[in-house]
Amino acid sequence: MSVVTRKLIAKELYVNRWFIFGGALSGVISVLIAATGKMGFNVGSLTWLTTIIATGVMLGLYGIMNERKEHALQFVLSLPLSIADYVRAKMLGLTACFLVMWLVSSTAALLLVFAKDGVPDGIAPYTILLCVFMLANFIVVLCGSIHAQSEAITSAVIIVTNMAVSIFMFTVAPLPGIGKFMWGPAPVWNSTFWTVLGCELAVLVIAFTLPFLLAARRRDFV
Amino acid sequence: MNDKHIEMRGVRKVYRFFTLDDVSLALEPGQIMGFVGPNGAGKSTTLRLLMGMVAADAGEIRVLGHEIPKAQAAAKRDIGFVSAEMRLLPHTTLGWHMEFMKSIYPQWDGGYAATLVKRFNLRPEQNARSLSLGEHVKATLLLALARRPRLLILDEPTTGLDPVARHEVISEFMDVLRDENRSILFSSHNTVDVERISDTITFIDRGRIVASDEKEKFLDRWRRIQVQLPPGVTLPALPNIVKHEVDGQFLTLTTNEYSEGLRNLMGPHVTHVHRMNLEEIFVANVMFHREARTQ
Repeated sequence: MSVVTRKLIAKELYVNRWFIFGGALSGVISVLIAATGKMGFNVGSLTWLTTIIATGVMLGLYGIMNERKEHALQFVLSLPLSIADYVRAKMLGLTACFLVMWLVSSTAALLLVFAKDGVPDGIAPYTILLCVFMLANFIVVLCGSIHAQSEAITSAVIIVTNMAVSIFMFTVAPLPGIGKFMWGPAPVWNSTFWTVLGCELAVLVIAFTLPFLLAARRRDFV
Repeated sequence: MNDKHIEMRGVRKVYRFFTLDDVSLALEPGQIMGFVGPNGAGKSTTLRLLMGMVAADAGEIRVLGHEIPKAQAAAKRDIGFVSAEMRLLPHTTLGWHMEFMKSIYPQWDGGYAATLVKRFNLRPEQNARSLSLGEHVKATLLLALARRPRLLILDEPTTGLDPVARHEVISEFMDVLRDENRSILFSSHNTVDVERISDTITFIDRGRIVASDEKEKFLDRWRRIQVQLPPGVTLPALPNIVKHEVDGQFLTLTTNEYSEGLRNLMGPHVTHVHRMNLEEIFVANVMFHREARTQ
């Protein structure tokens, strides 16, 4: 990896530091709210989900679309790097930004599941699937934003991925291998869990790899 | 071929509504080339091709000896690129950008950067978002100049600047050229700036290069000749006349190859011979080529 790519990754972490910090803080506060009781659990879960989705969207919009819209992309592309270097820096930099917030929020959520008496440990597999889904969802937003040449396409990707969260929750929770054990005292790591996790990881890997294969080879970037 | 700072040969780039066709350019070390054309002529596209931001459909591009876009990263280590459209990264300050550039370019000249900050009346702590258009241009110029590049590629850098700011910016370009190994490719539709600093000029119109030569040769060769013909007298066939305007017995001829021989052909009927400025040459040149293309 070139020095410029490394500097650009560091730049993403610096420029988006307030999104990362704000997102992580909001994620932790949401979990604390969720620990206050049944009502708190519902409110906290909702704000926790919103935080992760919103941070991902903001990173995609500000990190890629705004840079293009505000003509700062020309500045970046005037640096000693190739289009492939730029794509690499963006994918790694913005993923690192999201990962910081995601790791803090996901860890807080799992701590709540395992440490709080009122929350059954059986919900842990579903929580993990949801966390990984949110990560994959962000990578899809990132992949879409880096390929999209227009704000309209980026917006469409964001809307579809937002809808996908609800679809995921309402599809995966009723699955017999998940829903049946969700409120149980111990987590059950059955084949349904591993299959869903495998699908999520496959989507994640595909969405993360595509920009390196397609956008990095694009002939025109401005 | 490799000692030229820029070499483009037969470059073609096709868009849906615009085609840059058969563009060939050469820039020697130490030269300032003014790249002049009307809006939409293909100036920015040409410069983006040189920077590897877009790829040519045909032809060959080499910058500082590197093949573009394949080796653009290596070439751009020694290129300073500034565009009137270009903006600094949002959510950061000019000072942050200066540190960022310093960490990327080993040849970054901090002393010169500090001098330019003062000369351009910029404030390093100022957020990029709060910079005016002129400040953005000056800031991006500062970042390009202080890395001491061998080649400066400037896309309409004086557009939108007030006369004082333009003077400051142009003076900096002149300073850069004190080092004869540096060169500048400078696109503009402002012929006054181009005439002031360029030693070579290339005209582009509707995606094609229409003329390219030393500035002095353009200024020496192009003339507007006024002739008053008595009734019944006609001029012989004259070579190199690009424009011919008649108003009664008065004729105004524009030539792109003035010589005493041409004047002698017109005999005693010549009343005035005007030198043309670059703007007049540019307009006449473009119109002549447009007419030639439609015929």
